[in-house]
Amino acid sequence: MLGYLARRLALAVVTVVAAVLISFLLVHATDGSPGAIVLGPGATPAEIAAKNAELGWDRPLVTQFFDYLGHLVRGDLGTSIIDSRDIAQDLAARLPVTGFIALFATILSGIIGVFLGVTAAVRGGRFGTFITSSSGVALSLPVFWVGVLFVYVLSIQLGWLPATGYVAFADDLVGWAESLLLPVLALTVGGAAIVARTANAGMRVALQAEHIRTLRAVGTPAWRIRYVHALRSTSVPVVSVLGIQFIALFGGSVIIENLFALPGLGQASQAAVSAHDFPALIGVVIVATVVVVLTNLLLDLVVAALDPKVRNA
Amino acid sequence: MSVLPLDAADDVLTEVAPPPTRRRGLPASLRRPGPLLAVGWLLLVVVLSFTAPLWRPYEVNEQDLANRLALPSGAHWLGTDPLGRDLLSRIFTAGAQPLLAAAVTVGVAFGIGIPLALIAAERGRRTEQLISRGTEILMALPSTIILLAVIGVIGVKTYVVMAILGVLISAAVYRIMLGVAQSVRQRLYVDAARVNGLGSLRVNTVHVLPAMATVIAVQAAQLFGIAILINAGLAFLGFGPAEPAPSWGIMIQDASGHVYDAPWLLVPTGVVLALTVVAANVLADALAGKAAHVRAPARSRASGPVRVVDAAPATPGAVLEVRDLTVSVDDGPQLVSDVSFTLQPGRVLGLVGESGCGKTMTARSLMGLLPDGVSVSGGSILWQGRDLVGLTEKQANAVRGREIAMISQEPMVALDPMFSVAYQLTGPIRRFRGVGRGEARTIAVQLLRQVGIVDAERVLASYPHQLSGGMAQRVAIALALTGEPQLLIADEPTTALDVTVQAEILSLLRALVRDTGLSVVIVSHDLGVVADICDDVVVMYAGQVVESGHTAPVLDDAAHPYTMALLGANPHVPDGAPMPTRLASIPGTVPAPGSWPSGCRFAGRCQFTQEKCTVPFPALPAHGNGSVLCIRVHEVHDAGVRWHPERAGAEFVPAAADESAPTAAPVPTAGVSR
Amino acid sequence: MTAPAGAPAVSAAATVPALEVRDLVVRYGSGRKARNAAPAVDGVSFDIAPGETLGLVGESGSGKSTIGKALLGLQKPSAGTVRVHGQDVTAMSLKQRSRQVADLRVVFQDPYSSLNPSRTIGQTLVEPLRLMGVGAAEALRRARAGVESVGLPGDAVDRYPAQFSGGQRQRIAIARALVCDPKVVVLDEPVSALDLSTQAQVLNLLADLRDQRGLSFLFIAHDLGVVRFLSQRAVVLYRGQVMETGPVDAVTQAPRHPYTVALTSAAPVPRPAEQAARRAAREALGMGTAGAASASATGCPFVPRCPLSTDVCVEQRPPLRLLDQTLTACHHAERVPSL
Repeated sequence: MLGYLARRLALAVVTVVAAVLISFLLVHATDGSPGAIVLGPGATPAEIAAKNAELGWDRPLVTQFFDYLGHLVRGDLGTSIIDSRDIAQDLAARLPVTGFIALFATILSGIIGVFLGVTAAVRGGRFGTFITSSSGVALSLPVFWVGVLFVYVLSIQLGWLPATGYVAFADDLVGWAESLLLPVLALTVGGAAIVARTANAGMRVALQAEHIRTLRAVGTPAWRIRYVHALRSTSVPVVSVLGIQFIALFGGSVIIENLFALPGLGQASQAAVSAHDFPALIGVVIVATVVVVLTNLLLDLVVAALDPKVRNA
Repeated sequence: MSVLPLDAADDVLTEVAPPPTRRRGLPASLRRPGPLLAVGWLLLVVVLSFTAPLWRPYEVNEQDLANRLALPSGAHWLGTDPLGRDLLSRIFTAGAQPLLAAAVTVGVAFGIGIPLALIAAERGRRTEQLISRGTEILMALPSTIILLAVIGVIGVKTYVVMAILGVLISAAVYRIMLGVAQSVRQRLYVDAARVNGLGSLRVNTVHVLPAMATVIAVQAAQLFGIAILINAGLAFLGFGPAEPAPSWGIMIQDASGHVYDAPWLLVPTGVVLALTVVAANVLADALAGKAAHVRAPARSRASGPVRVVDAAPATPGAVLEVRDLTVSVDDGPQLVSDVSFTLQPGRVLGLVGESGCGKTMTARSLMGLLPDGVSVSGGSILWQGRDLVGLTEKQANAVRGREIAMISQEPMVALDPMFSVAYQLTGPIRRFRGVGRGEARTIAVQLLRQVGIVDAERVLASYPHQLSGGMAQRVAIALALTGEPQLLIADEPTTALDVTVQAEILSLLRALVRDTGLSVVIVSHDLGVVADICDDVVVMYAGQVVESGHTAPVLDDAAHPYTMALLGANPHVPDGAPMPTRLASIPGTVPAPGSWPSGCRFAGRCQFTQEKCTVPFPALPAHGNGSVLCIRVHEVHDAGVRWHPERAGAEFVPAAADESAPTAAPVPTAGVSR
Repeated sequence: MTAPAGAPAVSAAATVPALEVRDLVVRYGSGRKARNAAPAVDGVSFDIAPGETLGLVGESGSGKSTIGKALLGLQKPSAGTVRVHGQDVTAMSLKQRSRQVADLRVVFQDPYSSLNPSRTIGQTLVEPLRLMGVGAAEALRRARAGVESVGLPGDAVDRYPAQFSGGQRQRIAIARALVCDPKVVVLDEPVSALDLSTQAQVLNLLADLRDQRGLSFLFIAHDLGVVRFLSQRAVVLYRGQVMETGPVDAVTQAPRHPYTVALTSAAPVPRPAEQAARRAAREALGMGTAGAASASATGCPFVPRCPLSTDVCVEQRPPLRLLDQTLTACHHAERVPSL
């Protein structure tokens, strides 16, 4: 078990370093340089070169890389070349916004999805068919479209929730919850569908397993067979898919934050892209990767806890 | 020609083999309305999008400022956008790019993922580890954000970006394809091809890839849908084709700005986009065989119509009496026909026969554990005077474990892999004996010792996958004993075990019978096992009992030709007897359920068939209180005629005999090798 | 015992063995852990003379399947040599083997996965022939002839495996093995997955084909009765080591190794009175249960279960020595009771 965890941890570290490397190379692969960005189109090559030297852009690549890594380990992501704000601070403030939305959407998807999927597998028949078909439709819908639909129905027509904007947790708890509800709901439509399918398929496979017949042969009541034994087998793929969902939602937060005007990582990355703010871009990639990697680690732990075969390998 | 696979136990619904020529047209899974509509829509979108410049009623930038944000009308079928531009024209003009871009992503992802998976599956552990680690890292990178970073660096170059998306997703494709490729490579025909010297490339293209085709198609369809969504999402953010070129994402972005004053604007683009992705996913589902038709799981059976129990009195003293039991596929053929036998307390009865004879179905029906779609369609099962046929699920469950228990063939999969042995034993103990956790554990230890497990504590703490086959079967027996049952049904309990382990398990069963008075019904295909442990034996063939009685008379002096042939086919000759140069074999194959002839079902393969064998006849008494289902028993067995191994001539069977089940046409007298 | 018609008494020195295995060792996995674990095959040697059938008998974990794979080139041996008709193939890749030594073919156990379901029988049979350079028309002709020689109609070449029963598929697998006229065929549990009556058909067929063509068989099986029917000599394996080897009648009827005794006494016979007597004799032997603690790295692997084991058995791996008619790896073979 310990060896397993140690290997996963090592992989996590390598992944973060790889992310840094890739974004580094990406950024340096182009002709555009920070100097040109900062000074604007009117600058002369000499001015640009000078600015680049000032920003440390003309040093050998390897030096820049290790220098960056050094800062990174200390939690310093550099400063934006556009408005000179501290990137780490900025992203730290934005992280909770994106994080909570992804987290709540994942949890809600999990609850609804597992409930629908398991019921569909146990009941079968028309309900099962309905869940399979409707989940197929739900996960095909573009999340930004669903978001706008929700805005139309819940915000404009029914006036229950605010359409856009973000209220900080510290300021007003109810307002905070209200501002998150629409984005979370929009994300849950697709998320719950995927979880429902996984739970349905997993449950059906579990109920066909040979050991289910043994349980029946020993007179185990049906509810126990379904909700203790079969569900336990299903839990492993469901947890995996929930983890993937969280990562996908985290990475796809850009779109949702744009639609609902939320000050999260997604909004930051969109701004960084438009402005060609390279340090900020690299910063966002790293923060997102760290979150993804930590989630994967957590997932590995949970799967090991659930599945004795992984534990005692 | 319909042929039963070896393990006929559950695979009841055999298919009729396809004709020799390759099937034409769409496979059945696609011939349903859903997938057909999906394919139709996709074709429509593709055609309309790529030919848009030819048919669109308006140019994409043609502004009709008088008609801004209009609802659908004769002039504009889908309405107009904030600048009065026709939505229909713009939507389908915009369609070409996402479709192409998604195709690029799919192509790149599979173009990288599949070869990598094939290489990793072939090369062995080290290469596979290396590639897998690399792809794990790739998969952990947040793809949307990386795409944005790429856009930030190189600008909005859609096809390049989508290709890079393909590279990122190839990691996930690799993961899935690796699993499939590894599993296909386990198949023996791949090994056979390699032994024959087939080169690595050809092994992959000729044998491995075709077997992966379905998975590839399913994943490709799903990925296509995902890629379209990502492409539209990027456009939504403003990273798509530059204005004024239309794109689905930008059009929805515009629509979101007008959701207050012109909500309709949202609908046409969204619906076309959503439908296209839905169609791709419906196609994927159909290919995966996850048809919308879901078979309902077994419901609790309400008591059926009142069954008229045979008026004949129950055999005195018998603890189990099966009368004329018939088991059939629902709305389908019979699997077991009019099987009858009785079991006295403390005795072991063997149900013996080859694959497809119905012995497993008979055994399962004793506990009401028939698979979905199969049920008892006639006869009765009298257990201590009560009829078990027609019980509700609840009533049947009350019997299971408490009075009748079962162990089955594969002990390794019979136990739940997610729970410890202790959990799986103490649960039923507590339920049956109403004791607390501590006492249940003590009883569990006792049970494990009773089944011959010496270090019971260690086994209790173990999980099923940590046990050997023999150990797992002992645990399964202990589990069966938790309810202190009076009847144990053992469904091929030693078939999957080594012969020395088998001997131990049989000794254990014998000891349990001797010490606790347990009655056992054991299902087996091995006459040696029957000779070892059974007091009574029932020989089954094609769903019928062909011979029954006490073990010694049946095995030492078999009356039915089939039993004779089985004994002759057994290579374990008596000590001192010479090894035969030929083993007795039976020409042809077992007729499948649904194609059983009237009259003797063995007639088509028997050495002694005559005209009178082809019409139905009753069983005759034999072996004391046993029976034999052979109309010629007086002329054959009683006259000393035996199954002749040399005349079996099984090797050269012409096609006709394989093709059809033996027909009613009689075969002339004995000694024919067909 | 089926003897090949007119086969001369084989003298190993005079003729080159069809198959020669010397000190074969196979370890799974790599790295330090694998090196310290017990190998799957631990120093196995045997010969097969031309026209002879050698039965390789063992239970699960005996290494018999691994030996088959190693001989065929599907598993790389860690040590030892394999020679086919005198030619050393131990280190050859599969491609080299097929070009230089097209003489070693295989029939596998599972009839359901040994034929590619999406190719016709004809395509499957023609494949090895084409690899040998046989022309397409000739290959098809030979495929047809091959199918007929195993008792199936010639037009089976146009059909798919799904249209055939398990026993018929095994016959097709045999046809595939024989279509290239090999000298040695590895039969890896070819009848274990078949019903008794079908098993008899296939065994009869194998005996006939072997006698007609003078083939050498390596017959891997777990059932001593079946081995006795088809083989002239037998090798009994336990945990990767040879326990006993010799003429098949001697090994099965008068075994001189405790494990062989356990194996022969455990196989049930379909005659109740005889079986009862055998059972009594077996229980009197006092063999330990299977699945007992794993063996030590030195010494005899059967020690945890053997009623005759002493200290020397734990310390020293017993060498193979001749006793009566068989070679036995047991320090106390003289004390082995006869059944």
